[in-house]
Amino acid sequence: MSDPPRKPLPRISAVTAPFWGAAAEQRLRMPRCKACAAFVWPPRPSCGECGGEHFEWTDLSGRGRVYSFTVIRQVVGGPAAKAFEPDIPYVVAWIDLDEGPRFTSNIVGCPIEAVSIGMMVEVTFDQASPDIWLPKFKPSQLR
Amino acid sequence: MSIRGKAAIVGIGETPPDRLGSKPGEPRRSVQDYLATAMRLALTDARLTKKDFDGQGLGAIYSAGQSQAFWPAEVADILGLSPGLLLAGGQGGASAVSLLGQASAAIASGLIELALIVSADAPFSDPVTGSQASNTRDFEVPFGAMGPNSKIALVMRRHMHEYGTTLEQLGRIAVASRYHASLNPDAYLRAPITIDDYKNSRLIADPIRLLDCVMPANGGKAFILASAERARRLSRPPVYLRGFGEKDNPSYGPRANSDALVMGVADAGRTAMAMAGVHHGDVNFLQLYDDYIVIVLMQIEDLGFCRKGDGAFFERTDFTCTGALPIQTGGGMINCGQPSTTGGMLHVTEAVRQLRHDGGARQVPNAKVGIATGVGAVAYGKNLSCGAVAVLGTDP
Repeated sequence: MSDPPRKPLPRISAVTAPFWGAAAEQRLRMPRCKACAAFVWPPRPSCGECGGEHFEWTDLSGRGRVYSFTVIRQVVGGPAAKAFEPDIPYVVAWIDLDEGPRFTSNIVGCPIEAVSIGMMVEVTFDQASPDIWLPKFKPSQLR
Repeated sequence: MSIRGKAAIVGIGETPPDRLGSKPGEPRRSVQDYLATAMRLALTDARLTKKDFDGQGLGAIYSAGQSQAFWPAEVADILGLSPGLLLAGGQGGASAVSLLGQASAAIASGLIELALIVSADAPFSDPVTGSQASNTRDFEVPFGAMGPNSKIALVMRRHMHEYGTTLEQLGRIAVASRYHASLNPDAYLRAPITIDDYKNSRLIADPIRLLDCVMPANGGKAFILASAERARRLSRPPVYLRGFGEKDNPSYGPRANSDALVMGVADAGRTAMAMAGVHHGDVNFLQLYDDYIVIVLMQIEDLGFCRKGDGAFFERTDFTCTGALPIQTGGGMINCGQPSTTGGMLHVTEAVRQLRHDGGARQVPNAKVGIATGVGAVAYGKNLSCGAVAVLGTDP
């Protein structure tokens, strides 16, 4: 018997480590350019807007709206994809965060039928390994 | 700089699409074999020999399976060529059209006089596990994003939400493509379909359905470019590159929040059409990169053949080969299969066939000018990253 396939985890690099470190503390942080104040997402060595190379890692509210979403009904690909088979159907979404960046994640904590474009969501952290907490999103309670 | 009319396609070669290796026990062919066959067919078509390419241009495409660091050099080795210029396509599905432009620019500059663009991949017959872009690996795959299917599903749902785009409108593209495939003996999926077949096909990544998606296939394709002077001395009627444009990694809005409903083809198309000196009414057909039906629809918008979100255009326009705006005249990649990123070669070869008036039952009457596009490379949080557009014509 072989082990069931395991879900792939992100590799942590020098550029992305502050993001995953904050996520493990239940905070959503992104690098913000010190020169032009743009959020740079995903993290890059230089600012996509102005070319600045100095960033301030900044906590975000964790709130946003669903820009679009898909319901995964079939896995496509090798063992890494197969690891998600037990979760089907599940939602992959683009969330436009209140601070601007678009974030790819899952919508959890509600029936699939309840997910809609424009719905307000907030971050919740899902532990995937001792070091990795994946920021996922659930319907917003506050607004 | 304009490279209009400086180079022409003088030969094409294609292996018929196959899915050998998708079932246990089937015979298999190697990527090397597909490459060699495609080259041989293109050389035969152009009535040139390998010797003619000594010191000339060679272009190859990095693909899911063929991604080792110096793959284009390995292609030269596999084919026994000693090029004077090696060109690489790293724009995913946009690579074929990009290489058409790159090689034509090299010819226009006088560096080379001939170029062979050849590529193959064999996801079933000769599979190699490729690697992923780091942002995809780190920030999409851990959430169960299923590659391009889920990416384009996000784009498609947003398009439907913002513009009211319907499955009926999208389905007309699927039906016209399959109709053309039914007229193409080399297509893989040839049984005609209806709009209901499209609408009722099984959901993969809602709203992406089975009949929205291209399917993987094995195959190799090649085309040969020559300077306009050389082309006129060769045997085949030259198909001239009249205009070319490319736009990679565009951002329509802030980089961290780009408008996902516009593609680089919009910018590339304006550049290419201006260089070619053609207006929309001059264009006799479109061969649009078609990994998904909605990507075809959006390119028709982005190229300016209708306004963004004009769903009614897709209801009233006849997209068949004798209609007002013929598209995908060989059935497109969706019906001929996609050998990974090399699939975009098909849009170039079909454009050449039409401009040679070799289209048989699917020939566009009096075709003089056509457009071939490429779109590719999955990027984080937005639409596909690369876009390339070529305007081809029977006249320079």
